[in-house]
Amino acid sequence: MWINMGPQHPMTHGLWNLRVRIEGEIIEEVDPEMGYLHRGIEKISEDRHYNEVITLMDRTCYVAGMSWEHLYIIAAEQALHLEPPERAQFIRTLADELQRIASHLMWYAAFVQDLGLMTPFLYGMRDRDLILDLFQSFTGARMTYEYNRAGGVRNDLPNGFTDRARKVMDWLDARFVEYDQLCLDSDIFHRRCDGLGVLSARDCIDWGVTGPMLRSAGIKRDLRKDRPYAAYDRVEFDVAVADGADVTARYLVRMEEMRQAVRIVRQTLDWLDKHPGPVLAERLPRWLGAPYAPVGREGYLLKRNYPTGRGFSSVEEPHGEAQAYVVNTGGEHPYRVKFRSPVFVNIAAAQKYLPGYRVADIPPIMGSVDVCVGEVDR
Amino acid sequence: MSGATLYSVSAALSALLLGAVASILPAPVNAWLTSPDVVTGLAVLIFSAILLAASMINTIMLIWFERKMLGRFMDRRGAMHVGYAGLLQNFADGLKLFRKNTFRPREADSLGFYAGPTAYMVTSMILFGVLPISTGWSSGALPLSLLLALAIFSFAPLFIFVSAWSSNNKYSLIGGMRSAAQMIAYEVPILLAVVAVVIVAGSFDLNVIVNEQQNYWFWAPLIVALIVFVAGMLAEMERIPFDLPEAEAELVEGWNTEYGGMLFAFFMLADYVRALIGSILVVLLFLGGWTMPSWVPSVATSFPLAGIFWFMIKTYLVFGLFIWIRASLPRVRTDQLLRVGWNRMIPLALLSIVLAAVVVTVRCLPLVGCVPPLGG
Repeated sequence: MWINMGPQHPMTHGLWNLRVRIEGEIIEEVDPEMGYLHRGIEKISEDRHYNEVITLMDRTCYVAGMSWEHLYIIAAEQALHLEPPERAQFIRTLADELQRIASHLMWYAAFVQDLGLMTPFLYGMRDRDLILDLFQSFTGARMTYEYNRAGGVRNDLPNGFTDRARKVMDWLDARFVEYDQLCLDSDIFHRRCDGLGVLSARDCIDWGVTGPMLRSAGIKRDLRKDRPYAAYDRVEFDVAVADGADVTARYLVRMEEMRQAVRIVRQTLDWLDKHPGPVLAERLPRWLGAPYAPVGREGYLLKRNYPTGRGFSSVEEPHGEAQAYVVNTGGEHPYRVKFRSPVFVNIAAAQKYLPGYRVADIPPIMGSVDVCVGEVDR
Repeated sequence: MSGATLYSVSAALSALLLGAVASILPAPVNAWLTSPDVVTGLAVLIFSAILLAASMINTIMLIWFERKMLGRFMDRRGAMHVGYAGLLQNFADGLKLFRKNTFRPREADSLGFYAGPTAYMVTSMILFGVLPISTGWSSGALPLSLLLALAIFSFAPLFIFVSAWSSNNKYSLIGGMRSAAQMIAYEVPILLAVVAVVIVAGSFDLNVIVNEQQNYWFWAPLIVALIVFVAGMLAEMERIPFDLPEAEAELVEGWNTEYGGMLFAFFMLADYVRALIGSILVVLLFLGGWTMPSWVPSVATSFPLAGIFWFMIKTYLVFGLFIWIRASLPRVRTDQLLRVGWNRMIPLALLSIVLAAVVVTVRCLPLVGCVPPLGG
């Protein structure tokens, strides 16, 4: 019997369709169907100024907008031959890690909700709100930030931000213990999660699976360490690894990543306290402007002589390794923008890690993948 | 209030009403109206109406209680805005569902689709007529009232399965089958656990069972039976951790996926009615019903309606335990649930029967006290 789990289904956490062929309660075959949320972000980008594309990046993955902004902006800066100031790099690192915590908290909430745990769901959402408050205080928005700019970030952190952020980090440190108590100390949790959705290291590499799913299979690959960007080479942290390759292992990896993210945030806050400075490169091509700023006549002139270039970036997004490719042919808009979504690959591999388990196992397994459909369909 | 029972009150009310009406009517009708048959008939109707109203209000208060308790567990407030502390929120919700259009999928079987929820609701409500809430609140001395209550209680899987099957939806069907399997599997340990109580009490009559517990609540000597019974009741009520028939993560809403409006409200209400019945059964069988131990000062047990008061307190505390469990446990899987049911619960229930036999033979246990002799 074929069951359509989606496009409107509580398990999907977004808009996609998991077609499942079952024999009794056992899954025989899986056919993930994506594309319900395709907005043509890559194509739209070709018709926008470089800084205007940032707006779209927030909509690419609505729970990790900052990471996607960062991904795009690295590639765009390479293509435009811009170098952001050091302080901006640290602020980006800070924002990235805050976003990682917020995204993982969102994942935690959704995942435990799939298991039927209502209480930790609300705890996760409550604590995510604190991170969103921080975002609001320095970007003005809770989800769609539009904070990065080609050549730096839009504005500096407000007064007293670092102290507020430290307070939140202290609170979160205590909460992580509570989360683990609510999940790992429960026998039923282990019965529902241990040994489910196993995707071995070999299969992860074959299918191109990245991020926490890959690290849960025991492979220590994290772009923040392996190919550092922003200020990641100047902060200390450990790569979270587990070796169960199952749902519990992914839970452990994400939990550890949140703890490490708190560690990184503390270090960046200390650095930012000590090193004031500009957050936007001083010499910027004027036609970049702020989004929606009128482009002056001299701007067009300058643009004509502007060098061409290509930019490629790959960052460790909360869901996995995202990649961006931006081509600058000297025009006002990028000639071509292309993204690689980690979740697209992670979902596609469901054909490998779902069959053989039961229908009731689908929510925990798919929950452990951390699906964000916005970036799958782009 | 001693002596006045719910039935005697309704009978007096009935006689008063009919007398008043008869006094303004001509002779032949007048005589018929005041005949004992008619008075008794109306008394039964009034009795049922009071019972229905009381049980409905209690059920709705139970939902409010759950929402507020869950809110506290989850660091939020629960319903707040309709009425004081959200007391009227559920009435508003019910009214909203009542106003909604009732629809039926085109391919659904109309008889089963409509009859299923109705029968589920009705069989759940009938139970209130069987269970004694306090002395004088029972509908009569049924020598087998416990057996009758459990028999009616076990109708549910049939109606759930009928409504699930007739909604012609894959999720509903899977949910219905899970529900039937789960309820039937947990029916057995529940009945075995009840047997332990019956052995100690020496009767199937709930009034007798409660009276036996006057100074000797059964939870202590029959702790194993209590655990089995509570776990089984959780499965019967389909609450977390055993709510997999309506596991929303994989089955949308399980067997009530296709239901909306008042039919959905029927299911929802009947679920809480069954939760209330489950809590009441735990109180009746293990926690002494409306009785309080003799060391409780008599001022706390002698005021009017004291029996009902203590009974409701106990019931809500038992339900509070269910809410606590719901707030802290994830959902298990069907095969795990059934394995626990057949492999763990039934041996435990059999063990509890053995323990009950021991209790009856030994009569006195350290710390617990002595069982009163059978039949008195």
